[in-house]
Amino acid sequence: MSDGKSTKPSNTTHDEFNPFHSMEHQFGLAADLLGLDAGTREVLRMPDRELTVSLPILMDDGTIKVYTGYRVQHNFSRGPCKGGIRFAPSVNLDEVRALAAWMTWKCSVVDIPFGGGKGGVICDPRNMSQGELERLTRRYTASIMDILGPDRDVPAPDMNTNEQTMAWIMDTYSMHVRRTTTAVVTGKPIAIGGSKGRREATGRGVMLVCREAMKKLGRKPEDTRVVVQGCGNVGGIGALLMHREGYKIVSVSDMYGCLHNDKGLDMPAVMAHLQESGRLEGFAEAENLKNEGQLELPCEVLVPAATENQITSKNADRIQAQLVVEGANGPTTPRGQEILDSRGVVVVPDILANAGGVTVSYFEWVQDRMGYFWTEEIVNSRLEQVMVKAFHSVHEMAEEYKVNLRTGAYLVAIDRVARVYRMRGVYA
Amino acid sequence: MTENPSDSDLLGDIYEDQALPSTPALDEETPFATMMSSFDEAAQTVGIDPAEYQILRKCDREMAFSVPVRLDDGSMEVLDGFRIQHNAGLGPFLGPLRISGHMRIVELRALAAWMTWKCAVLNVPFGGAAGGLRFDPRTHSSGELERAVRRYTANLLGDVGPERDVFMPDVGSDEQTMAWVLDTVSSHARVTENAAVTGKPTEMGGTKGHHDAVAQGLRVILRLAVDRFDLPPKGMRVIIQGAGTVGGHLARILASDGYRVCGISDVHGAFFNANGLDIPPILAWRAKQGSLRECPGEFDRISNRELLTQACDVLIPCATANAIHSRVADDVQCKIIVEGAHGPVSSRADKILEERGVAVVPDILANGGGVVMSYFEWVQNRMGYAWIMPVIEKRLRRFMGEGWNSVTKTQDEYGVRMRKAASILAVQRVAKADELRGIYA
Repeated sequence: MSDGKSTKPSNTTHDEFNPFHSMEHQFGLAADLLGLDAGTREVLRMPDRELTVSLPILMDDGTIKVYTGYRVQHNFSRGPCKGGIRFAPSVNLDEVRALAAWMTWKCSVVDIPFGGGKGGVICDPRNMSQGELERLTRRYTASIMDILGPDRDVPAPDMNTNEQTMAWIMDTYSMHVRRTTTAVVTGKPIAIGGSKGRREATGRGVMLVCREAMKKLGRKPEDTRVVVQGCGNVGGIGALLMHREGYKIVSVSDMYGCLHNDKGLDMPAVMAHLQESGRLEGFAEAENLKNEGQLELPCEVLVPAATENQITSKNADRIQAQLVVEGANGPTTPRGQEILDSRGVVVVPDILANAGGVTVSYFEWVQDRMGYFWTEEIVNSRLEQVMVKAFHSVHEMAEEYKVNLRTGAYLVAIDRVARVYRMRGVYA
Repeated sequence: MTENPSDSDLLGDIYEDQALPSTPALDEETPFATMMSSFDEAAQTVGIDPAEYQILRKCDREMAFSVPVRLDDGSMEVLDGFRIQHNAGLGPFLGPLRISGHMRIVELRALAAWMTWKCAVLNVPFGGAAGGLRFDPRTHSSGELERAVRRYTANLLGDVGPERDVFMPDVGSDEQTMAWVLDTVSSHARVTENAAVTGKPTEMGGTKGHHDAVAQGLRVILRLAVDRFDLPPKGMRVIIQGAGTVGGHLARILASDGYRVCGISDVHGAFFNANGLDIPPILAWRAKQGSLRECPGEFDRISNRELLTQACDVLIPCATANAIHSRVADDVQCKIIVEGAHGPVSSRADKILEERGVAVVPDILANGGGVVMSYFEWVQNRMGYAWIMPVIEKRLRRFMGEGWNSVTKTQDEYGVRMRKAASILAVQRVAKADELRGIYA
């Protein structure tokens, strides 16, 4: 991921630990199965538009520093582009391109009317003041203003950007166009047009697709042990919600280690402990273990919800779960997937499993366009409808083509985009 | 307000004493300073950075312009037009368009800021504004009025719009006025901009339920007040001052809900019956005759002042500002007062009521049904989809209920009176939005 040069969308060489290569690989597989013609395939591979901007920022010490920012719009056949903005030293155009394409497929799998986009600024937010970050955000927004807008491109938070960043973008855009435009960005604070239920959305989506997959496997939550890697917005909230559904959460982890209790953890107590002490370690009613080997603990469901490349050729044969639900992006490598496939382990892929977040982003955009805001119950019930429907369309597609759910998800996603592309035709 | 010298230049002091009926309590300094004083206090209570609060102490923008109008006799008159936009933190501006022969910019400022606070308390995504056209509609023809309104609107093109500044009717303006504004804006923009005004006729995007929205909101508040103030859930005795858009509709609604409406009034006098009035014939009489004068029925005919001091559970002043002033406050015999009008309790009376332990549900919350309904109209216009009446009723209940819950929660948290709690809530919400958005360029 850090070596951006090797992640060109057109590059098909295979590196197990490059998640964009696995996406490329998946795209190729699915495109072959769908029998996509070469022209359409080329269109879907290339970003529709890429913008690179140079951002002079007045630093607190009086000097001027020039940052580089990108916004890539991968495909807007299905609607305005949607995707996060990240601030990180590792940002590079190839990574942004790949992430933008990823968003196109993700939006398409859950059938929300967006294409994929992604943005990033090469900077190190840890060494910048709040004022510098605000100026950077505002200048970046002003510089990409022409391609932004509720009907053009709608950013969201990503690595090192948050509600506050989104508030600045909304303010900059609104002041510039001289009208209040909350729908230009999602992930805003509720006070200025954010949606209820957004913080929990990804975790809730994980819980929902897990429930649907469990039905297919004929399992009941009560006699199902779950190992969750991570305990943030995805893992922590996912585990909490699954605990509420009756699952036995036997292990959760953070960057320092993991907790294990074969009888099931008291998740509300674990989260309270985490809130209080800042880490999981020291929670009384569980063994405190190292992270190594957490994924291999005995369980029926495994939820990797931390980072990429966790289930690989090195450990896939020791995974004991029957069902893997990918809360993180790219936690399973293609080799890892092959091994799981051969052992009959079902994997609900990232572009489906963690799409709850972008779905509620979509709801935020809808609410902003109306100017009317839903209750949390309504947000949650509509999220459920979307996730359940998406799971079943992926499942049916996978059955039809006799492939795993990951390929099924790409088949659904690419087929939808390609159909729309053909219907709209080539403009001018 | 005093820091802006243009006031007196623009308007002189000749209208000093003429507080307009829907402007909240005005009895010292400038209307803006008076209105703001409770919010200033609220900001101090919750410890908002004084520098940050300066933003809220001033209006974002003030526009003053001349409006030339050709009169029917061929002569020309040049009118003064204003639009004051107070704070855009929470969203586009929403504010009344007032058409009156006399008005002062300081009153419009007060009204604009008042709208900001009101929208914040009711959690509708608008900032406050107020517009004024100095013109007496009663002494001019409808054609002259139409030309004046269109020219006034034309001067604000580019500033009016669904995401910029949204109009609603006020003193001197009505459905028809809103229709002219809408037509002028839309014709100029060459797109239908019906979300640019609210309080429109239903034929062109007005919402159902606009006519009695304030009364419906008051009804929700009364229901919620039962538990909090330990009022009788059945046969509650209420006195309503006023029988117009607010008071009349409220009397009708409460009577049919089973309340005992013991008193009602209009400018000609008041009726009282401790066992409850028979409301439908009284309203029918008023609808037919134009006033309550000589209306037959079983009740005592008393003065408006006497009405306010009769024994009851809830007193709901829905008529003029300062109706309950310091000389009445001592004699009021109700458990609580719910302010249906703008500023019906003067600030001195408010202090007396506080000492006597009479709770007051403040206007900013209690009569918010109108603003909520304007918001609903704007939402429906944005979607292009009109809600049916049961949906509107349910959502109005939700907004009034959430406003009530937020205010009472703030009240319990800070241990203050409800009016101050509402001010605190409003200031907190607006300051939070301003802080999140930060300073643009």
